[in-house]
Amino acid sequence: MIDFIIKIGRFGLDYSASFGRSGLFFLHSFFGLALSPKGLMLLIHQLYKVGVLSLVIIIVSGLFIGMVLALQGYSILVDYGSEQAVGQMVALTLVRELGPVVTALLFAGRAGSALTAEIGLMKATEQLSSMEMMGVDPLRRVIAPRLWAGFISMPLLALVFSAVGVFGGLLVGVDWLGVYEGSFWSNMQSSVDFKEDVVNGIIKSVVFGVVCSWIAVFQGYDSEPTSEGISIATTKTVVYSSLSILGLDFLLTAVMFG
Amino acid sequence: MFGKQIGRDKLLDSYIKITGLHFARGHRAIFNGANLNIPRGKVTAIMGPSGIGKTTLLRLIGGQIKPDSGEILLDGKDVTKFKRKALFEARKKMGMLFQSGALFSDLSVYENVAFPLRAHTKLPEDMIRDIVLMKLHAVGLRGARTLMPSELSGGMTRRVALARTIALDPELILYDEPFAGQDPIAMGVLVQLIRLLNDALGLTSVLVSHDITESLSICDHAIIIADGQVIGEGSPAELRQSESPLVKQFLNGLPDGPVPFHFPANDYQSDLLG
Repeated sequence: MIDFIIKIGRFGLDYSASFGRSGLFFLHSFFGLALSPKGLMLLIHQLYKVGVLSLVIIIVSGLFIGMVLALQGYSILVDYGSEQAVGQMVALTLVRELGPVVTALLFAGRAGSALTAEIGLMKATEQLSSMEMMGVDPLRRVIAPRLWAGFISMPLLALVFSAVGVFGGLLVGVDWLGVYEGSFWSNMQSSVDFKEDVVNGIIKSVVFGVVCSWIAVFQGYDSEPTSEGISIATTKTVVYSSLSILGLDFLLTAVMFG
Repeated sequence: MFGKQIGRDKLLDSYIKITGLHFARGHRAIFNGANLNIPRGKVTAIMGPSGIGKTTLLRLIGGQIKPDSGEILLDGKDVTKFKRKALFEARKKMGMLFQSGALFSDLSVYENVAFPLRAHTKLPEDMIRDIVLMKLHAVGLRGARTLMPSELSGGMTRRVALARTIALDPELILYDEPFAGQDPIAMGVLVQLIRLLNDALGLTSVLVSHDITESLSICDHAIIIADGQVIGEGSPAELRQSESPLVKQFLNGLPDGPVPFHFPANDYQSDLLG
C-alpha cells in the first residue's frame, strides 16, 4: 500500500517537474526567435518543412472530408426537402469544427511526430550538445524556428483544408447529386458569419498550433537519448497532441458557441 | 621540496581548477569532493575505469550540467555561477570533441566546419571559405569538403569534428574518448593531431580516455579518477612509478583488484541455493 502511494507521489512529482520544465522551455523558445536575416531564413526553411510539405495530406484529406460531408448531409437533408442547404452545412462544419480539428490531428501525425523524432535524434547523436558547446543556443537556433513555424502554419493549413473541403462538397453536392449551384453558394454566404465562424475557427487553429508545436518540440528535446526514448517521445507527441486538441476543442467550442 | 615547488607552480598556472566537487545521479555519487587542476597550455589526460564519470566531468567543465556543490574555475571564473548568456559567451573560447563526432547530419563537411564561424562572426564568405579550408587542411580532409557526414568513416568524422572545434581558435579543447572504436591508423592520426594542434595553437587540451597507452604517449599531465576522487596525478612517468594499488591495477589493466571483477551482489552460495 505504502509502495503504491509512493509510486503515485513520484509520478505526480515527475509529472509536475516535466510540466514546469516544458513551461520554461516554451518561454525561452517563444521569445528566442532571432529577428535577424539568419533567423528569418531558418524560420522560412522550417515553414517549408512543417507547412508546405504538409499541404498534400491536408489537401487530399480536406477534399475527401468535404465530399463525405456533402454526401452524408445530402442523404439526411433530402428527406426534409432541404438539400439546398448542403453547402451551408458543409461550410459551417468545416470552418467551425473539422477544419481546425482535423488539420491539427493530421499536423500532429505528420509534422509533430517528425519534429519530435528530428529533435530527439539530434539529442541522441549529441548534435544539440555540440551546438551548446559551440556557444550556440539550441533553443534559439533549433527549437524557436520550429515552434514558430508550427504556430504560423497551422491556421493557414486549416484555411486551406476548409477551402478544399468546400470545393469537395461542391463537387459531390452540385456536380454529382444535382443540388442547384446558386442555392449551394447563397445559403453558404448567408449563414457563414466571418467573425462568428471564420475568425473563431482561426482562433481555434492558432491555439491548436501552439499546443501541437509545443508538445512536439518539447517531447523531442526532453526525450531519453536512445532509440527507445525517441520512439516513446514520438508516440507521446501524437497521443498528447490528439487528446489536447480534442479536449481544447470542446472547451473553445463551449466558450465560442455555447 | 623540489616536487612541492613544481606542484605549487602548476597550481598557479592552472587553466581549470576544481575544488570540492560533489555530483550525484540519483543516489549514486559520481564525484565526492574531488579536487583537480588542469595546467594551462598542456595536454592533460583524465583516465579512469568506465562509468566513473569522466564524460560527466567534461560536461561539468563545459557548464552543461551543474554540480551539487563545489567550484569549477575556468581561467579564474566559476563556471557554476554563470548565467545562461555568460555561459554561452564563455563557450566560444572552448571546443569539445564528442565521442560520436556530433556532426550536423544535414550539413556537408564544409558547412559543418563553417557553422561556428557563421554563427559567431560576420566574416565575408570568401574569408570563411579560406578559414574552413585551412582547418580542414590541418586535419588532412580538405579534399573531403563536399562529402556528407554519412559518407565519412569513424576516424574521418572525428577529424572533421576536430576541424570544426578549432574553427574559432578556442583556448581550451575537451576531447571525449577520442580514440574509442578507432582503427590503429585513425588512432595514430588522432594522437598526432591532438599533440600538434595543442602545441601549434597554444591550447589547453583535456582528453578523457581509458586508452592508457595512447593517452600517456601524448599527455604532459595525467589524472586518474576512481570512487569519485582523484587517486593519482602527475606526469606519465610519475604515474608509472605510483605505488597505489588502484593506479597500478588501472595502468596494468588487471581484471581484479581494488576495482572488483564482480559487481556487488549477495553471497554466491546463498544466491544459488536460496
